[in-house]
Amino acid sequence: MPEDAIPRHTQVFAAAGTAFLRVATTAGGMGILLFRILARFFPPRIDGGEIWKNLYKMGVKSLPIVAITALFTGAIMVVQAATIVKRYSAEGLLGWGAGFGTLREIAPLLTALMISGRVGANNTAELGTMVVTEQLDALRVLAIDPIGFLIVPRFVSIVATLFMMTLFADALALFGAAHTGKALLNVDPVTFYNGFTAGLLDFGDVANGLTKSVVFGVVIGLASCHFGLATTGGAPGVGRAVNAQVVASAAGIFVLDYVTSFILG
Amino acid sequence: MSVETGIRFQNIVKAFGPKRVLNGVSFDVHKGEVFFIIGASGVGKSVLIKHLVGLLYPDEGEIWLDGEEISKFDEVRMGPVRKKCAMVFQHSTLFDSMTCAENVALPLRKHKGLTLKESVAEAKRRLHVVHMQEFGDRYPPELGDGMRKRVAIARALTLEPEYVLFDEPTTSLDPVSARRVDKLIRELSDTLGVTSIVVSHDLSSIFTIADRIVMLYKGHVRLLGTRDDFKHTPDGVVNQFINGRAQGPMDL
Repeated sequence: MPEDAIPRHTQVFAAAGTAFLRVATTAGGMGILLFRILARFFPPRIDGGEIWKNLYKMGVKSLPIVAITALFTGAIMVVQAATIVKRYSAEGLLGWGAGFGTLREIAPLLTALMISGRVGANNTAELGTMVVTEQLDALRVLAIDPIGFLIVPRFVSIVATLFMMTLFADALALFGAAHTGKALLNVDPVTFYNGFTAGLLDFGDVANGLTKSVVFGVVIGLASCHFGLATTGGAPGVGRAVNAQVVASAAGIFVLDYVTSFILG
Repeated sequence: MSVETGIRFQNIVKAFGPKRVLNGVSFDVHKGEVFFIIGASGVGKSVLIKHLVGLLYPDEGEIWLDGEEISKFDEVRMGPVRKKCAMVFQHSTLFDSMTCAENVALPLRKHKGLTLKESVAEAKRRLHVVHMQEFGDRYPPELGDGMRKRVAIARALTLEPEYVLFDEPTTSLDPVSARRVDKLIRELSDTLGVTSIVVSHDLSSIFTIADRIVMLYKGHVRLLGTRDDFKHTPDGVVNQFINGRAQGPMDL
């Protein structure tokens, strides 16, 4: 039978099967990596110095970009709410309106996307380059465990960075929102802050967002380390790995955002 | 004189996909000697030595190191083997994110329990041995190939290994640096009793410092012997290789 006579629907199944296998391989690879990371905690075999180095590189250096994103995010929340607030003279609810969405959703989500782009991509590129230039093999030959030395510190730093940056973004977004409210709607910041201390918002809303930030941190940490370690094929391979990391992290963040929102209610 | 066998490769077979790179390679390396593995590019020289440190595992065959069969060791059991058996990679493979001194300091810090400060001080002392002391604070990408290679050698020697594997140590070096590396390898053997296994194409290294040489050809050992054995062999393939002739019986 000539090749072009293979029924088209078979080809579709083959393509679907290949795509499924690829996704399954990635998910499986990330699962195994998570297991290996957790195994390094019992007993702890982690390089402390590397954690501090990565926290500085990933956390401290991300502050400016997170600050700008957060300030403008808060401002945007108020700009979007402005029409309704004006129409119903609901100035007292502005703080609640902006705070609810920011704390539970926007601050963790946007911070995660920024950190994925800045820190995750960087991490994948660096690990991928180390793999293709045999630096990872060199580490193994020196009898140094690459997971304990390279991967765990990066994973821990990404999760911690995202948690801290989300806290920071929460505060700055609300600060931005309060002052936009003053400039745009002439709502006094005190009224704004009263809006979310009057009992409509509580610590649960902050905790909700922070829980999400940890979930997103795990996704970015796992994806960026997995794709970095799985890099093959020189410089183009590093490019492909970074690309895959950004796509997988973003998709993972949105899917898990939905799942966590649903579970946490 | 009795010789003590340090490393024994026994019928090593290794294939990558359909290509059998090593097809039953066997030979012994004696303790304290400078042993060269030569052969055309792609013949599996680097592949073979990577088996010794667990970067590759053979499809068939056994590898004995100091009376221990190591070819089936996992990462954890490979740890002590790797401390005993250091490797200098072809492309140096220094860690780009660390300075030269930090590169050398890393194994000291991880395995000798030194603090960061102590290990960097010790690393600088060791860089002195390879004449790289003034480059301790520089990052590897800023340096030339020859300089990086010297740092890589210093790093490999930090744990005082009994065996050192050199993967093309003089390739891409200028002739003077290359002879310095040769001298260093010879001295390691003569003064410290270190066994060196050197993968090389460099004919002047081979015929200056090698105690014994093995030539791999088409997945098998073609000739194993001393420098003199190689110089006086009637084998056309070996002759063509060691004389670097373009024409001859060798199939590439």
